[in-house]
Amino acid sequence: MLLEIKDLSVEFHGMRGTMKALHNVSLSVDKGEIVGIVGESGSGKSVTALSVLGLLDKNAVVTSGEIRYAGRNLLALGKKEKQAVRGKQIGMVFQEPMTALHPTMRVGKQLAQVIKRHRGVSGQEAERLAVHALREVHIHDPELVARKYPFELSGGMRQRVVIALAMAAPPELLIADESTTALDVTIQHEILKLMKELSERRGTSIVFITHDLGIVAQLCDRVAVMYAGEVVETGSTADVLRSPQHPYTQALLHALPDLADPDEPLLAIGGEVPDLRRRPAGCSFASRCSRATEECRLGKPRLEERKPGHEVACWKGADGSHG
Amino acid sequence: MDDMIRLQQVHKQFGKGKQLVTAVKEADLAIRRGEAFGLVGESGSGKSTIGKMLIGLESPTAGAITYLDRPLWDKGQYRSPRPGEIQIVFQDPQSSLDPRMTVKDIIVEPLHALPSAERKEKGTQARLVSLLRRVGLKEEHLSRHPHEFSGGQRQRIAIARALITDPSFLVLDEPTSALDVSVQAQVLNLLKELQKERNLTYLFISHNMAVIRYMCDRVAVMYKGHIVEVGPARPMFREPDHPYTRILLSSLPSVYEPSVPAGGFAEPAADGGANACSFYSRCPSRQNACLQAPAFAEKETGWSSACHFRGGRAHV
Repeated sequence: MLLEIKDLSVEFHGMRGTMKALHNVSLSVDKGEIVGIVGESGSGKSVTALSVLGLLDKNAVVTSGEIRYAGRNLLALGKKEKQAVRGKQIGMVFQEPMTALHPTMRVGKQLAQVIKRHRGVSGQEAERLAVHALREVHIHDPELVARKYPFELSGGMRQRVVIALAMAAPPELLIADESTTALDVTIQHEILKLMKELSERRGTSIVFITHDLGIVAQLCDRVAVMYAGEVVETGSTADVLRSPQHPYTQALLHALPDLADPDEPLLAIGGEVPDLRRRPAGCSFASRCSRATEECRLGKPRLEERKPGHEVACWKGADGSHG
Repeated sequence: MDDMIRLQQVHKQFGKGKQLVTAVKEADLAIRRGEAFGLVGESGSGKSTIGKMLIGLESPTAGAITYLDRPLWDKGQYRSPRPGEIQIVFQDPQSSLDPRMTVKDIIVEPLHALPSAERKEKGTQARLVSLLRRVGLKEEHLSRHPHEFSGGQRQRIAIARALITDPSFLVLDEPTSALDVSVQAQVLNLLKELQKERNLTYLFISHNMAVIRYMCDRVAVMYKGHIVEVGPARPMFREPDHPYTRILLSSLPSVYEPSVPAGGFAEPAADGGANACSFYSRCPSRQNACLQAPAFAEKETGWSSACHFRGGRAHV
């Protein structure tokens, strides 16, 4: 197992109280695997990614759990050691490519800097490799693009450059947080194809964080569905999307307009996500769940295996009986 | 045909000289009374500019826009048929609601444009409360400020503000794009119900084809300022005529098996020249014939596209 997150809990201390952003999150990523983390805003998917990268804000406290990467506990590392892992072993691609690039430095130079640092080659060699890295992400005329500034590139081109930067070291694991959300669908389609291809060719593992179940279906081998800071269901993409077991996953699929879906009316999920400052004692989804009973409000269900590799945190069986 | 809105050869240009950008070119459209008309396209395609020209925020550079056969724009002046007849809901309820105003002030603000008798009649507390309840909010919310609400609730406030004047026509510009899936479904269903109850006509602008198909009867697809295809939403999304519509549909990631087989842009080709089809340089099925731009022509009743070929395939 390349990355293993076990029972990770994270709290944020703020002026208006303590927010429990993550509660006992467990997740694993194998070598060469693409794992999706899907959830709505506030579900904790980005906090999970930032914890792995060691980029949590100062007011965040990890209250339990560990993050094992290639056998080492990342949470126990010092600042210097973390920096060595970040970028070199774990690359990252965020949502807005413009903020990830240096605005007044030519694209080729930015890439060359990263390559020089991580691979220890000469400046000239780094510049040659930078052009090669741009070609790898299917940029036409990489020599020309290397001499451009980020503002001269389109959104899709910028995101390709950011991917080239993240893959430059080259890392074993790439964490992509809503990396295609700011892009047009046709460009998104091309970027997703590119990421899948890079993963297959180099054996890079990817954690892809998204709110879009369609992207999960297209890209990911496995998926973890998060709700209110907890993983509520995890399994192979086919299992989770074709036979979802958790009421939240089921509701999410019913609420999603989909071109290939029969013309059913969308079923909205009533109510709202619970306030993370006052986490309910029982299941976090109970207040919005049509199948919730007294036991759901009293005790918190843990992830349990329903079939090999398919885990669900729910007191009820798929048919509403006791699981 | 009972057309409510008609656009004829509408152009919109911004800037001048080197900075000149043509946002909308030769747009012809008709929106029928009582329908939900979808406008889909990627960023920069000109879809929001069309919405803004209908509501009076941008004036067309050339061409005619009529509302119930009367011109909406006359010599650069917006001639509203009746104040509050045409209203808009924007994408981001975070920035479209004044943070210092109470919910009540926000919702009744459009009434200031109305004659005083009508303002009094439409601004009664009873009417306000019933409208608020209808969009899924509570009476006690009236004295609160926007920051106290979630994204979905804020969009409900924006919808109530649009409805307070009893409009006939609503421009909905990406009304659910900033919302989570579960909340989006609530707002879409609310908009569907309101349309039926109040006999509203919608122009629904979105980049999301799945949302458009769920909401709309007919749809227009825009590419770089051109309307490339207009037709009935369901059949058109099953078998798109224009190659760009096809690419757009096959790019949208689906949870299920894709309904339109995957296909992408062609490698950019040299510009075909001033007379070429607007999609020439990226079209996967371009031919020599495409160096001469196709007319925007009706292929079946109520279904038009700007392509020399049927279904993007090379037979005429």
